Amino acid sequence: MIGVARFIEQRQHFENATAHSYQAEIDARDRLAAGEQAPAAARASIIAQQQRRQSLRDEISSQTRDTALLVGAGLIAGLTGAALLFSGLISSMRRPLEELVEASGRLAGGDLDARVKVGGLSETAALGAAFNEMAGELQRRAGERDQLERMKDEFVLTASHELRSPLTSVQGFAELLMLEREKLSGKQAETVEIILDNTRHLGRLLNDLLDLARSDAGRLQIKPAPTDVATLVEDAVRTMRAQTEAGGQTLIEEVEPGLSPVNADADRIRQVLVNLLTNAHEYCPEGASIRVTAARAGAEVEIAVIDDGPGIPKDQLEHVFERFTRGDAGLTQHVGGTGLGLAISKSLVELHGGTIAAESIEGHGSTFRVRLPTAAAPDRAGAGQAAEAR
Amino acid sequence: MARVLVADDSETILLLLRTRLEMEGHEVETAADGRQVVDAVRSAPAGPDLLLLDAMMPRMSGIDALRELRDDGFDMPALIVSAHKQGADGDGEGELAISGYVNKPIDFERLFERIAELTER
Repeated sequence: MIGVARFIEQRQHFENATAHSYQAEIDARDRLAAGEQAPAAARASIIAQQQRRQSLRDEISSQTRDTALLVGAGLIAGLTGAALLFSGLISSMRRPLEELVEASGRLAGGDLDARVKVGGLSETAALGAAFNEMAGELQRRAGERDQLERMKDEFVLTASHELRSPLTSVQGFAELLMLEREKLSGKQAETVEIILDNTRHLGRLLNDLLDLARSDAGRLQIKPAPTDVATLVEDAVRTMRAQTEAGGQTLIEEVEPGLSPVNADADRIRQVLVNLLTNAHEYCPEGASIRVTAARAGAEVEIAVIDDGPGIPKDQLEHVFERFTRGDAGLTQHVGGTGLGLAISKSLVELHGGTIAAESIEGHGSTFRVRLPTAAAPDRAGAGQAAEAR
Repeated sequence: MARVLVADDSETILLLLRTRLEMEGHEVETAADGRQVVDAVRSAPAGPDLLLLDAMMPRMSGIDALRELRDDGFDMPALIVSAHKQGADGDGEGELAISGYVNKPIDFERLFERIAELTER
């Protein structure tokens, strides 16, 4: 630093001049002692040297102060510069980092288009480039996955469509045979009955698969309209009456009078109720009691299917709404369900803006509760409009 | 009883439909695709009373055949046989005036009821 170098030079000069002045004073004193000079002149010379040194000291101390000020100022300027440089560095890092944080948030939120501008310091630029590469890879994989999903949905839709024609023939001709039952032997009629049972089962399975594929593809649609709850329950009970009676089970209907209509697609909710009743019928032994109740529950109506059958073990209860979940093998020997009914029921009820839940204590029966918004509370399922859900 | 024109690309389904409809006392004519449906209706302008058309057939679909016939001014009721369960109400007063959809496998009791409703005027 220039200030310091000059200070050293001045100091050198001060020391040389001071030493020189001392020497001059000593010489003057020697001359005085030796009587080589007049005493007055020698004394004047000594005083002059003392004054000279005083003025040198004054000068050097003033120069020191200036230099110190200069160095201090330089130091402050240097520090300020460094601070400015550093804050510039920080801000040139902070902006790209903030952008990265924001883009990461968007990416995590599912916006696969999230990218950052690559620039600034080489480190943040590299980070940005890596982020963009990662986001691009995610987007590519998501695209592949979506395409696979679509192919799967299309496959299931097409397969269930294509399987329908042969199924229609098998079922149709078996029914034709049964129309002339009196011409068949007992054994033959029994055989045709088995064919029919199985074609109906296959038909249900195809319908269920189709519903699930539609649900996955976001194409399961409902047309909700204000619907009378008592009529819904009656329809479902009427559909099931013959089967429960044949199984020696009692089927009881308990609908609270004066219930508000629910905002529902009647066919679809009937499908849900018939599914719940079919499960109760198939899993309960002869002599069991099955109740269907409907009651107000706040802004909703709760329809419950309650049975006093064997119940559902605790470890299975939490999985009942999953696909292909069936009761114990020992029980399912005579149960004709597809293992898809409750999964579809759940999709359908949720499409209505409602909820479905299962309660059970093993050995003490099961209760399935469906809650649906009333038609008076329209915005939950979008009254009168076809709602769509995945 | 009604004169019904049935179209399906499966001979087995045609046989099944013809047998069941004839057992109900209907008069049945069959077609293997939409082209044959259009030709059959144009060549015999008096009938049929009702069309029962498979939605998906090679050469010409049931929907396309119906569109051509509606353009020609034929207004007999039409039921579309479709594997898809939804939209069972048809478009009623819509462009094609579809009276309803019949799903596979076919519920014959419901089909007979529907045909009776549509032809007993």
